[in-house]
Amino acid sequence: MDVNNTAALVGNLAVVGYGLAAVGPGIGVGLVVSKTIESIARQPELAARLQVTMWLGIAFTEALALIGLATPFIFPAA
Amino acid sequence: MTIATTGQVFTRVLKLGALLIAAIAVLGGAIGYAVAGQNGLVSALIGSGLALLFVSMTALSVQLGAKLPLAGFFGVVMGGWLLKLVGFIITMALLKSADFINGPVLFFTIVASVLGALAIDAVVVMRSRIPTYQK
Repeated sequence: MDVNNTAALVGNLAVVGYGLAAVGPGIGVGLVVSKTIESIARQPELAARLQVTMWLGIAFTEALALIGLATPFIFPAA
Repeated sequence: MTIATTGQVFTRVLKLGALLIAAIAVLGGAIGYAVAGQNGLVSALIGSGLALLFVSMTALSVQLGAKLPLAGFFGVVMGGWLLKLVGFIITMALLKSADFINGPVLFFTIVASVLGALAIDAVVVMRSRIPTYQK
């Protein structure tokens, strides 16, 4: 076994980019939704307002995902 | 116009968002055609169409899910979000190898449409007066 080549990466680096573009917004949306569930559990009468606020939070977070996933078109593979 | 229910918020957001993205499609299509010919035009139309589809899916899922009990609401919203993200990844991967696509034109129409739709979302929600209780 060639010791020098054990750290070599094989495969398409863009896959890592797709993964990173999904992980960040996934965490963000998870936080938004978990806090909304907590808030609705505390004050169920505010559910309608909280749902709209949650949707706005999700919309902003997912914009990051949509832009991140489209970056291969502007940063071509080396 | 005063917005009084969450349903009206989403109807207004969807209408205004569609109008804005249609305008971006026309403008982007013209710029794309000037920069990259037929490929630029097609890329701008595909980019704005994809942005419209994926941006309005969230609003639609919240609007439809709000009629369900709480668990159903989160199921529809999160399930819709998951499907959308997977769908977007697959679409991007398929378009990456397409030869009728001009990359920068597609990217910038998607970014402009997504950011424009976000601005409309924020303005509509800020101007709306959603009552605390509605049934």
